Amino acid sequence: MSAPIVPDGRGVIPEEELHAFVDEQLAPERRDAVAAWLAGEPTAAARVRAWQAQRNALRAAFAEPAPPAPSLDLMRIVETRMRRRRRLPWAIGGVAAAMVLALGLGGAAGWMLRGEPANRQAMALSLLEQEAFATHAVYSVDKRHPIEVGATERDHLTQWLSNRLNRRVAPPDLGAAGWHLLGGRLLATERGGAAALFMYDNQQGQRLSIVMRPMAPDLATPEPQRMGGAVNGSAWIVGGVGYAVVAAAPQDEITEVSKLVRQQSPAA
Amino acid sequence: MAGPSVMAGMEACIPALRRYAWALLRDRQEADDLVHDCLLRALDRLHTRRTDAELRPWLFTIMHNLFVSRTRRARVRSGTERLDGWHEATLGHPPGQEDHLRWKDLVRAVGELPEDQRAVLLLVSVEDLSYAEAARVLDIPIGTVMSRLSRARERLRRITEGEPAIPLRRVK
Repeated sequence: MSAPIVPDGRGVIPEEELHAFVDEQLAPERRDAVAAWLAGEPTAAARVRAWQAQRNALRAAFAEPAPPAPSLDLMRIVETRMRRRRRLPWAIGGVAAAMVLALGLGGAAGWMLRGEPANRQAMALSLLEQEAFATHAVYSVDKRHPIEVGATERDHLTQWLSNRLNRRVAPPDLGAAGWHLLGGRLLATERGGAAALFMYDNQQGQRLSIVMRPMAPDLATPEPQRMGGAVNGSAWIVGGVGYAVVAAAPQDEITEVSKLVRQQSPAA
Repeated sequence: MAGPSVMAGMEACIPALRRYAWALLRDRQEADDLVHDCLLRALDRLHTRRTDAELRPWLFTIMHNLFVSRTRRARVRSGTERLDGWHEATLGHPPGQEDHLRWKDLVRAVGELPEDQRAVLLLVSVEDLSYAEAARVLDIPIGTVMSRLSRARERLRRITEGEPAIPLRRVK
């Protein structure tokens, strides 16, 4: 197939290599060797020049920029696909899409772009995050009544919320990270279910929220998903419970707290 | 895992996919429909993609397969070769009238190539896929890529130059 090139430039270069020369797919040494050979082969050189001209003309002819196509907007395709698959009402699809945009293409689109179960998972995580952000926004700023049941009644709090959620939920011990339990409260989910909030504060008086809510048993996310926004957070699902940690604290701290919560969650 | 780079990468491939689809179909609407279906399928399969696989050839492969099954369906329906509208092809507005005619001739000549040769020529010449990548996209051996490329180029040369084909090796 590949006849060697003799040093004086004679010999035959296989046609494949001439095409590769035209298509700029040769390694530099080979390219130079072929160019040298062509210098002494006018007929082959003419053929190669014709191919090169053809290639350039083709590129020019097809390089014409296509008019913009709104139907090919990738984010719109992602949204439409999610909405259709989940048969979601427009409003929720819109919220999910807004979450995609709010979190940036990276994080959110990342989980939304896997198959069907991942989409449900992504939706579940989105809802959980929205819920956690809203909860933190409302209750963490409330000086006098951030919680319903205080840390002094920890056992009662645990029992009460576990009963209402029909799952074992308990306030994790975050002392190692410098956060101390204030107490907790019952929350309502958008589907009419019960969720739990545990609130903590630190020495600087900052507050941190942990939201837990029941999830479909088949949903699970291997790693906490980082949430964006003015406050930081992370959310994950394990053992039929969705967890979200939110605070106006650096992401590193959120990650540390998330680790503690995971270590102490019953399904961990 | 699908990350931001994959999304950005897919987005960056859209112009090339549109160009190739348009070159195959010669109809903007049909071409964009094909690209749309390709993107949807790619999103469905993103989780099956091996992370080390190149995104561009992967997308071209998906689109090529869609194109083939679509063309096959159209043939079965009509019972004939599909009419692809190549001869009615209109181009944009290249700078000179002479250029315009030459381009038009060239594009028409590409349209007269057999479909398999056209696909190889466009993937290699216009989309800069390596021979190995083109072979994977079209699911053919690399030798077949080379022979189709050779036939396409010679045929195109004959059409545009009105010259008879002469096998290169016999020329000395």
